[in-house]
Amino acid sequence: MTISKLLVANRGEIAARVLRTAKARGLATAVLRHVAEQEGPAHLIADEIVMIDGPTPVAAYLDIPQIVDAAKKIGADAVHPGYGFLSENAAFVAALEEAGVTFVGPTSETIDLMGDKIRARAFVEERGFPVAPSAIEDDDPATFVERARAVGYPLLIKPSAGGGGKGMRVVREDSTLETEIETARREGQRYFGDGRLFVECYIERPRHIEVQVMGDGQGNVVHFWERECSIQRRFQKIIEETPSPALTPEQRDEICETAAGIARAVKYRGAGTVEFIYAQDGAFYFLEMNTRLQVEHPVTELVTGFDLVAEQLRIAAGEGLSATQANIPQTGHSIELRVCAEDATADFRPSIGDLLLLDEPSGPGVRVDSGILDGGKVTTDFDPMLSKLIVHGRDRVEAIARARQAVQNYVVLGVTTNTGYLDAILAHPDFASGDVSTGFLAEQSETLTAPGEDISDLLMAAAALSDERLVSDVMQIPEMHRKMGGWRN
Amino acid sequence: MQRIFQIDGEETECWLGHDGSRFVLNTPNGTVACQLDPTGLPGGYTLRAKGVVRELRLAVGPEATFVHMNGRTYEVGRADPAERLAGSDGGTGDDRLVAPMPGVVVSAAVKPGDTVKEGQPLLVIESMKLETTLTAPRDGVVAEMPFAEGDSFGLKDILAQLAPEEE
Repeated sequence: MTISKLLVANRGEIAARVLRTAKARGLATAVLRHVAEQEGPAHLIADEIVMIDGPTPVAAYLDIPQIVDAAKKIGADAVHPGYGFLSENAAFVAALEEAGVTFVGPTSETIDLMGDKIRARAFVEERGFPVAPSAIEDDDPATFVERARAVGYPLLIKPSAGGGGKGMRVVREDSTLETEIETARREGQRYFGDGRLFVECYIERPRHIEVQVMGDGQGNVVHFWERECSIQRRFQKIIEETPSPALTPEQRDEICETAAGIARAVKYRGAGTVEFIYAQDGAFYFLEMNTRLQVEHPVTELVTGFDLVAEQLRIAAGEGLSATQANIPQTGHSIELRVCAEDATADFRPSIGDLLLLDEPSGPGVRVDSGILDGGKVTTDFDPMLSKLIVHGRDRVEAIARARQAVQNYVVLGVTTNTGYLDAILAHPDFASGDVSTGFLAEQSETLTAPGEDISDLLMAAAALSDERLVSDVMQIPEMHRKMGGWRN
Repeated sequence: MQRIFQIDGEETECWLGHDGSRFVLNTPNGTVACQLDPTGLPGGYTLRAKGVVRELRLAVGPEATFVHMNGRTYEVGRADPAERLAGSDGGTGDDRLVAPMPGVVVSAAVKPGDTVKEGQPLLVIESMKLETTLTAPRDGVVAEMPFAEGDSFGLKDILAQLAPEEE
C-alpha cells in the first residue's frame, strides 16, 4: 500500500503545510484550485495543480465526484483532506475506497460514529469514559423530571432538535425546574416544531481542553498531549496553546490517557482529537471527537518535535506509528495565534481587500503557516483566516513574550486584521495567569478592543506625506503661497 | 491642499502646506511640522513629527492608507473634500443600497430598468454564512445593479442604485 502520489483536497495554509511534508517524504504532489481562486502558497509548492469548478468556490471543494475523478485522472494513489471541507465526510471516504484511492484518515465507520453526537456520546459512556451527567427525555418520558432532578444543579435544558442556543435554559433551583421544562418545551415547539428535551449538567466557566491522538488502525494508540483552546470568539478558537496552564501533571496524565482510551476503543486510524469540557473544579467530560488533523496541530508539533502530517502519511501507507508513548516528549511551551481578516472592534466582521504589503515575522521559535501571498486578494469566498503564527519558548512566559513580539512585527497591510486584538489578549493579566474560560473574550470584550494611545496626528502626517497627489499639488503652489502654509481663505 | 482623514470612524479635516524647507500639516489640534523618509524596506519609512521619530511600514490603498507603527496596524481613510463635493450629486442615501458588510450576491430579483415598490426584494446576499434579503428603500426605477449572482462585494459597496426621483 505504498503511496507515491498525493492529492491534497484542500487549499490555503493547510494545503501548503501538508504539501511541504509530502514533498520532503519524496512523494509526487498535487493540489486543487478553483478557477476563480487567488494563487496561494500551496500552488507554488505542488508539482501539479488540478483546476476544479462549481457554482461557488466552496461548493467545488465539497464536490465528491469531481474530486474523486481528479484523483483518478492524475493517478494519485492517496488523498489528504486537510481540515474542513470533506475531511469528515464518510461518503467521500467510501467513494475514494471504491475508486481504489487511499484516504489519509480514519475509516468511514469511525467518521460516521463520531460525526453523530448522540451515538458518539453513548459509545463513550458505555465504555466507562466520563460524559457530562444528563437525562434524555426520549429514553423514558414518564421519569424525565425525576431523572433531570438527579443530574443536579445548575443544569441546562436543551431542545433535542435544537441548535444555536435557542430554547436553552439554565436552572439553578429545584423549585423552578418544572416550570422551566414547560417553557423550554414551548420554545422547542416554536423554533424547531419539536418539544422533546434533554438536560445536562451546566458547567460554569468551562475550559476547552483537547488531546491529540494517533492510531494505527490495529488498536495501537498514542497521545501527543493536550491543547488548551479556551480563547474563542463566536464559538471559534483563535488562540491555542500547549501545555494547558490549568492542568496538574496528574490531571494531564488522566485526561490524555482517557483520550487515548477512547481512540483505542474504536481502533482509531490516523490523527484525531478528543475534545473535553473541563470544569473549574478539575472534572472533565467528553465533548466530541474530531476525526481529522486540527487547525491548531502545530503547537503539538513544536512541543513534541513530531511532524504529525508525516505520521498520518506513514499510517496511511501501512507503516504504522513511528512513536511509542514513552518517546513523545512535551518540551517547553507553544502558542498559536490565528491571524484573520476581520475587524475585532465591529463584532469580528470579515474584511476583504488587496494585500498591499505582507511581511511575516521570523526568528528563533517562530513559525508561520500562511495561506496568502504578497499582492494577493482577500475575498469572502473562503474562511477569513489568513495564516497561523506559532511560537515556541522554554516556558509559558517566554512563549507569550515571543508571541507578542512576533504578532507586533506581523505586517499585513490592505485589509483589516486581528493582529492588534491578538496582542491585546496576550497582554491581558488574566491570560498571563491562565485564568480563562471559553467566555473570556466575550466577558473582556471592552478591555480587549479599547483604543490605545491617541497617535492620530502621527498617522495623519504619514497618510498626508505618502499621498503622492497631495504632495505634488502642495509643491506646485507658488513659493509665496506655500510659505503661508496653514492659511485658508 | 486639503484632505479629510478618517481614523476609527472619526473624520478630521487637514491642510498640508510647505514652508520652503519642510512640510506642515495643519490639524484642528494645531500645526505639525513633519517629514517622511524611505528606509529601504518595502513600504518602510521614518516619520519625524511632533518631536518624535518613528519607524513605520506603510501602504497606500485606493481609499485608505494602512500604517504599521508601534507594533500595531492602523487604517487611515482618505477623502478629497473637493471630490466629495463634486460627487454628491450622484444621488442621495435614499437612492442606494449600501453593503452593510462584505459578502456574496446569492441572487438578484430585479435588473436595471425595472420598476420597484418600496419594500420589494431586490437581491439576496450572503455574509458571514447568513443570508439577508435587501429590499427597495422607496418606490422607483432600478438604475444600476453593479454585482451579478456569485460576485463578491466589499463593505460599503453600492449593491443597487435607484434612478433619482423626479420632483
